[in-house]
Amino acid sequence: MSREIIMVSNNIKELDRNDSTILSEVGISTEDEKRSGTFVLKDSEPVCSCSSLEGVELLPMAEALEKYDWLWGQYYWGLIPEDDSPLPMDQTISKKPLGYFLRVKKGEHVKLPSQAALYMTGSLGKQILHNVVILEEDSELELITGCISNAFMRGGEHIAVSETYIGKNASLINTMVHSWGRDVRVKPHSATIVEEGGSYVSNYISLRPAGIVDSNPVTYLNGTGASAKYFSVILGSESSEITLGGDVYLNADETSAEIAHRAVCTGGKIIQKGLLVGKASCHAHVDCSGMLISPGEDGYIESIPGLRSHHEEAQMSHEASIGKIAPQQVQYLMAHGMEEREAISMIVRGFLDADITGLGPELDQRIAEIAELAGHGE
Amino acid sequence: MISINDLQVEVEGKNVLNGVNLEIPEGEVHLLLGPNGSGKTSLIMTIMGYPQYRITGGSISMNGQDITELDITERARLGIGLAEQRPPSVSGVKLRMLLDYILKEHEDKQERVLELIKEANMESFLDRDINEGLSGGEIKRSEILLLLSRQPLFAMLDEPDSGVDLDSLELLSSMINILFSPKKEYPAKRGTGLLITHSTYMLDRIDVDKAHVMIAGELVCSGHPQIIMNKIVDSGFESCIECREK
Repeated sequence: MSREIIMVSNNIKELDRNDSTILSEVGISTEDEKRSGTFVLKDSEPVCSCSSLEGVELLPMAEALEKYDWLWGQYYWGLIPEDDSPLPMDQTISKKPLGYFLRVKKGEHVKLPSQAALYMTGSLGKQILHNVVILEEDSELELITGCISNAFMRGGEHIAVSETYIGKNASLINTMVHSWGRDVRVKPHSATIVEEGGSYVSNYISLRPAGIVDSNPVTYLNGTGASAKYFSVILGSESSEITLGGDVYLNADETSAEIAHRAVCTGGKIIQKGLLVGKASCHAHVDCSGMLISPGEDGYIESIPGLRSHHEEAQMSHEASIGKIAPQQVQYLMAHGMEEREAISMIVRGFLDADITGLGPELDQRIAEIAELAGHGE
Repeated sequence: MISINDLQVEVEGKNVLNGVNLEIPEGEVHLLLGPNGSGKTSLIMTIMGYPQYRITGGSISMNGQDITELDITERARLGIGLAEQRPPSVSGVKLRMLLDYILKEHEDKQERVLELIKEANMESFLDRDINEGLSGGEIKRSEILLLLSRQPLFAMLDEPDSGVDLDSLELLSSMINILFSPKKEYPAKRGTGLLITHSTYMLDRIDVDKAHVMIAGELVCSGHPQIIMNKIVDSGFESCIECREK
């Protein structure tokens, strides 16, 4: 079923104040001077789509498909075959899909982040969307994607297809912050291709886990010297089921990849995976680490780092560890004046930060929030 | 300041302190001596409130307040501090994070602590995980720096000399002297504390007011530190054991 797009604002400041407050939880700013572009999808309606730079084009997907004939085929369903579409048939073939089209033009080094907010309020059972992101040659962007449902929402499903194209010597940092209601089912389906010398960093932070999250983003490093880095921080709580993967295909020489998953389980089930496939002379490492804090009888973390090598010059390694917080460490910090929950939070914070540098204040803030929640056993 | 009355403690069902009585008035630093396994560390870990050290009898008071039932945090916030002999490493938690926590409500101390970090050549420690991969001397410096940052009313140091080379001993002694140095208030009083060490090098540099000898979970002797230390240097703890048996 296609949907008509109505009244898409070009000013983030026109957002409803309550919506703005909720979206700020997942890193979405309503101060347009802090962002180079903004897209907001509320349930089934794009309510804001704007960009402040000529070199950054941010449109509702349906509008982009109307505007650019070349989009369908070359980019839209270009990385994920239509036959593999996780979307319902009417959405797969729809010419007016939900979602956004983001393009950074050749040579544009965007200093301010762009942002996309995907927001569910409960007035719609499903949010189904398809996004395309294109970074042309020698361009640079940081994208913040905030996905959230409001506190009143019960049930619901969020299914998103995202196809990302990173051109020669282009660089994308994509930071995704999720904060879902307990019963929401979330199934992102993402694929990224990186050309010669391009760089892709994917940060995924799950503040409040949905009922079910099932995500396995795939990245193809097709150009010489291309690189990818996945970093995820997940807090699992009672009754949540989170499966987070990440496959990187290192198809060209001098490519490199790093996957670092960090999970804290206070209940529920967490499966964290990573698969590196070396098909050329490359370097890659995958690390799946977990920490259990009172997971209850049914809670667990399963870590599955994977390597597959087709090339003798592919240097790949993996590690996985799952542990608990030693009481001696908590007591040691308490002896310096901390409450027990503060001590646990600090240790969780340290675990989540370990060996990860340069996340920036936005992610640091989110990680601090997760550590705080874990300290409260949430 | 600290008053310990007939303190009995067990660890994993084994008695480790058997009726300890100790008074440490404000402004005094006492020395605790004793052979390995005599209960010295058990005493200070019990004063700090570590739950593995289960109090089965007696009491601990600080400034007249019974703190026997208080947990570690409450005791730390009352002003008790400890530099442990073998502190745990805390993976991922940087020394800077803990210092920031300690100093967040004491901006007045921040400048002095930064100076101390520089003087003690500890800038490179700040972004390392607490106690992880540090040498013996580095761990001691880190522990005493944390104490200096907190400036507890009652500071305990468990063998700050163990595993430390001579150069570091000089530095550690200076840091401990700063910890116990007289405060600016009038009338000036030095800090209050309890020190476990058998290092004559360190004791030549740190003034202690009184020494106690612990044998088998009991304080068997108290007195002038120099006299007791000389006796132990001459004839070891054997003489203390014989004295106790008499």
